[in-house]
Amino acid sequence: MKTITFTVNGQKYTREVEEHKTLLRFLREDISLTGTKEGCGAGECGACTVLLNSKPVNACLVLAVEIDGKEVITIEGIAQDGKLSPLQEAFERHHAIQCGFCTPGMIISAHSLLQRNPNPKREDIQEAIEGNFCRCTGYLQIIEAIEDAAEQLKPKKSKKR
Amino acid sequence: MQFGFTYHRPASVIELCELLNRYGAKCKILAGGTDLIVDIRAGLKKYDYIVDIKNIPELNELSFSKQKGLSIGAAVTCSQLIEDSTAQKKYHLLCECAETIASYPLRNRATIVGNIVNASPCADTAPGLLCLDAQVLIKSSSGEKTIALKDFFEGVKKVKLAPNEFVSKIIVPPASAEAKGAYMKLKRIKGHDLSLVSVAMAVIKKNIIRVAIASAAPTPVILPDFSKNTKVDEIINVALKTVKPIDDIRSSKDYRLHMIGVYIKRLYEQLIK
Repeated sequence: MKTITFTVNGQKYTREVEEHKTLLRFLREDISLTGTKEGCGAGECGACTVLLNSKPVNACLVLAVEIDGKEVITIEGIAQDGKLSPLQEAFERHHAIQCGFCTPGMIISAHSLLQRNPNPKREDIQEAIEGNFCRCTGYLQIIEAIEDAAEQLKPKKSKKR
Repeated sequence: MQFGFTYHRPASVIELCELLNRYGAKCKILAGGTDLIVDIRAGLKKYDYIVDIKNIPELNELSFSKQKGLSIGAAVTCSQLIEDSTAQKKYHLLCECAETIASYPLRNRATIVGNIVNASPCADTAPGLLCLDAQVLIKSSSGEKTIALKDFFEGVKKVKLAPNEFVSKIIVPPASAEAKGAYMKLKRIKGHDLSLVSVAMAVIKKNIIRVAIASAAPTPVILPDFSKNTKVDEIINVALKTVKPIDDIRSSKDYRLHMIGVYIKRLYEQLIK
């Protein structure tokens, strides 16, 4: 066991953790944040994508002990004050969700893209969600939702529907 | 996780060397973990000690100088390299290779040195690094040595590295800076995938053609240097005699051989003609 201090969704924690536990299981089992999902557990599917020091990573391939001193944002940290983010609202509006299992990882990857690049081209979006597998809706609605969110987040009030 | 282990996070190379001397083959270095954690989880590998090197400042260094070339520390991630404007400008071929690795979240963790030390036959940075004549700096408590990357690979997932040694950095020499080059990778899907076969070609000092190929032999391979006047058919002939591809779940041997010819022809058209 190791003692680690870290921040998740803005809240600071100090916890004891088994050294071989992945960040994914630690978030779900020890911090009770079950929004982050386990799909393949091998870095293929992206269902476990979280932000580690602002960058998307696969939580299934990170050891919990590695986040000592670092900052993690999970899907639970994207909505603010109980209000969905414009990106989350766009996913709803475009029916970019069916079973919902890929959605947390998808949102994290898209959220990170919009932070790096507020005006993504379609290819940029495709590349950003390359590591996130969706097995039900297909990707079109997801891509359209991200395009819409990018439009909503632009400073000018040019709303495209 | 299939097996438990003790986690160490040394803060210096000296501490790292002490751990390697103490634990030898019972320990494994962790950098990005994108191969290691998968293997441990699947029960394919078992180690008593995991040594995380990301907290060692000198292993996080990515730097360029006209005298020494590009130096890529063992903890430098693929994303760090790709986002470095000097690396992009001076060693574009290498960055192009790194951009094809997996997906963005994986590139944020996976390291360039890890891609080499893992020694997969399909390592994407290997063809680029081989074309650019990369050198591997190996350290241990008894000193350091530099060997050419082409001599570092021994076989599938095997490299010349003793249990008390570690790769401190990869050095891409100044002679390869600003080499014109390109990388072509065959995948089953447009999204992230391992290569079925891949080819890198570079023109060094405007008169040497170098070609390296991955996923076509137990290790990534580099062909002997060609002069600028070499005909493309001759390069393809040498390539097909050098590689030893296999039939496997991702591709047949014949398809691999065919695509090596296709890619060499395309790269030649793009870079030389």
